[in-house]
Amino acid sequence: MVRVKVLFFGRLRELIGLAEEVPELPEGATLAQVFDKYAERFPKLAGFRGSLVVSRNQEFAAWDAQVSAGDEIAFLPPVSGG
Amino acid sequence: MSIDVDKIALVREPIDGAALEQFVRAGKDGAMVAFDGFVRNESHGRATSYLEYEAYEPMAMGKMKEIVAQIHEKFRIDRVAMVHRLGRLEIGESSVYIAVSAPHRGAAFDACRYAIDTLKKTVPIWKKEYFADGAVWADGELPPTPPSAKSAS
Repeated sequence: MVRVKVLFFGRLRELIGLAEEVPELPEGATLAQVFDKYAERFPKLAGFRGSLVVSRNQEFAAWDAQVSAGDEIAFLPPVSGG
Repeated sequence: MSIDVDKIALVREPIDGAALEQFVRAGKDGAMVAFDGFVRNESHGRATSYLEYEAYEPMAMGKMKEIVAQIHEKFRIDRVAMVHRLGRLEIGESSVYIAVSAPHRGAAFDACRYAIDTLKKTVPIWKKEYFADGAVWADGELPPTPPSAKSAS
């Protein structure tokens, strides 16, 4: 198991009432699997899988990228700055 | 040409656009183009009361620095100021301000346009619109997802 930091922003944070936590995850888990784990815990999240992006250590990441100890993972809804 | 002469920031206070425009001007320049994005009083026909912006701050700073590095590479410009405000903003207040100086106007126009367009697509900042009878997160743009990790190597 590896310890990582997981962050939620914008409408996702509001929807599940969680901004940040530091879970332990199986080594080699993909970012998609991390999201699925949260979607099981917060079923309202499931419908958002196709309309968000994920970042790993503050860079946009592929869904099949794997987590490593100490990673900072964030689930990001469509951006609307400016 | 160095990023050290640029000003890139996320702030919670009103943006002083005139100061940013002054900051980017240097003796070797002949042009300055500024973009001022400010809060509109309506959204899809509903009267807006105010907006709230939030950011994934360290990543947003990283992406803003990347954009500034890109415009230095793509265009013959001198200095850049790129500031985005967070928190509650009232109608008419600036949410984003980008100023670009250059020896000649073409590069300054092109770089400023590229910078705001790219910011809106890639910088993790979110806007919530408040109305008299509720609030909604603004529709945004989904940044591109990198290619699969498996095929990336």
